[in-house]
Amino acid sequence: MAENNALRVIARLRQIGPALVFGVSFLALWEAAVRGFDLKPYFLAAPSKIFEQFFKNYSRIWDASMVSGGNALVGLIVGTVFGVAMSFILSRYRFLGELITPLAIALNAIPIFVLVAVLNNMYSITSEIPRRVMVTLVVYFIVLVNVAKGLTQVRSTHVELMRSYAASEFVILRKVRVPNAVPYLFTALKVAAPASVITAFVSEYFGGLQNGLGSRITSNIANAKNAAAWAYVLGACLLGLAFYTVSIILESATRKGDTK
Amino acid sequence: MSALEVAGASKIFNQGTTKQVDALIDVNLTVNPGEFVSLIGPSGCGKSTLLRLIANLLEPTSGSVSVNNKTAAQARLDQDYGMAFQQAGLFDWRTVSKNIELPLELKGWDKAKREARAKEMLELVKLPEFADLYPWQLSGGMQQRIAIARALAAHPPLLLMDEPFGALDEMTREYMQGELLRICGETSTTVVFVTHSIPEAVYLSNRVVVMSPRPGRITEVIDVDLGSKRNEDTRAADGFFKSITAVREALRGTHADHAAANAIRGVEDR
Ligand SMILES: Nc1ncnc2c1ncn2[C@@H]1O[C@H](COP(=O)(O)OP(=O)(O)OP(=O)(O)O)[C@@H](O)[C@H]1O
Ligand SMILES: [Mg+2]
Repeated sequence: MAENNALRVIARLRQIGPALVFGVSFLALWEAAVRGFDLKPYFLAAPSKIFEQFFKNYSRIWDASMVSGGNALVGLIVGTVFGVAMSFILSRYRFLGELITPLAIALNAIPIFVLVAVLNNMYSITSEIPRRVMVTLVVYFIVLVNVAKGLTQVRSTHVELMRSYAASEFVILRKVRVPNAVPYLFTALKVAAPASVITAFVSEYFGGLQNGLGSRITSNIANAKNAAAWAYVLGACLLGLAFYTVSIILESATRKGDTK
Repeated sequence: MSALEVAGASKIFNQGTTKQVDALIDVNLTVNPGEFVSLIGPSGCGKSTLLRLIANLLEPTSGSVSVNNKTAAQARLDQDYGMAFQQAGLFDWRTVSKNIELPLELKGWDKAKREARAKEMLELVKLPEFADLYPWQLSGGMQQRIAIARALAAHPPLLLMDEPFGALDEMTREYMQGELLRICGETSTTVVFVTHSIPEAVYLSNRVVVMSPRPGRITEVIDVDLGSKRNEDTRAADGFFKSITAVREALRGTHADHAAANAIRGVEDR
């Protein structure tokens, strides 16, 4: 038993080992470069300084993360709900799908978050709504395209089988299309979760409230506090990672049979 | 009263376009209740299409299909069909047992009854220990057996099977043939069975329907006289070989008519 566990730890280390070694050596090289070439803090801050700043400003970074993360989460949830709802409508009325899907794909390819500048004009300067709307939009299209695919691209044998059992369109939806679309939803969420953080974060560069990670980075850079700015960048990375991890955990929790 | 009556049925795909395919022309077929009829013919001759017409998954371009004196559409709504397709077509998100229960669910059976029948079917296809696994954890042949179990589960009055044993090894295949005959005999099920194997067609059937390709039509119907009780001795009986020869000759005829060398590939002498 103990031997078994030890083996499992070793296997796990083998898996993450290379990434760990790479990460640590990258940081070491960075630190060495800053010290060796005597790089000025306004040019490039040393990792040690960044970590120092990170722990010093921990509570402020946490608060800013909550603001950006909150916007991302609200947008993620609302966008997913609307995306799923719309994909049901599209799968029901195929001609709408043919109209909207190319548009959705095109919109996915361009950085639509610049729209936030326009949205900022529409709402008061103290409103979080423009950013949340932005995240919602980005998530909406990712979810829509994927889930609509999952609902429509079902195996023809499955549909024929259901029809031979006299199943109605609604029953086919419930027993074939929806289960078929579930993995597509989680694939979409794996993409949408980090994208929601990035969008929430980048949206802050276009004015509005100055309380999120993005605005903190700008203001710290403006005040020549480079290491502090990097500390907020680190916070943003961790936030994105957290969103991604949760989406992966959700996915593996709903996947069937794999762990048996 | 006939269990199945196909009268002057034709099916033309993409009619009037450059992609027009005359899949079936003027097909007439009457199947009596409890009868086992096999369809055999070169690849692409319209066997699957005929099965789909019977199942009301396709509408005939002309002609009609009736099942137990009802229209095919009504028979489908009455859930008179059990189908096994060329592909197993199991649902990856359902366990093996839940896959077999699907037609029973749609008939509104309660849970206990469904589970009991699924268990029974799993015993029958000799995979009882796989009930709680998912289809992708099974081999191709095992998946096909589950699909057969699913088709049989509700004891449908009309069973339509499209090369269901194609993916099975020879021993399992013979075993499944025996079981299929037993179940269909016990439940007086009418069967239309598509196969590429002449011995299989002969062993199972009361009649073997031989089809020709492009456009698909019925060229010959061969009565197989092996009695109603068939067992392993049947495979060594004189009548068995006689019927095999008859079917083979009928198939040769269709090939000679069309002189289509590539069509021969469709039929194996298994
Ligand atoms: N949905 C469809 N649209 C257009 N053509 C089709 C369609 N389904 C079948 N066909 C054509 O009809 C013909 C008969 O096809 P079918 O699948 O019935 O053949 P088959 O006898 O079952 O062949 P096989 O033994 O290879 O399974 C083929 O030429 C095929 O290309
Ligand atoms: Mg076929």
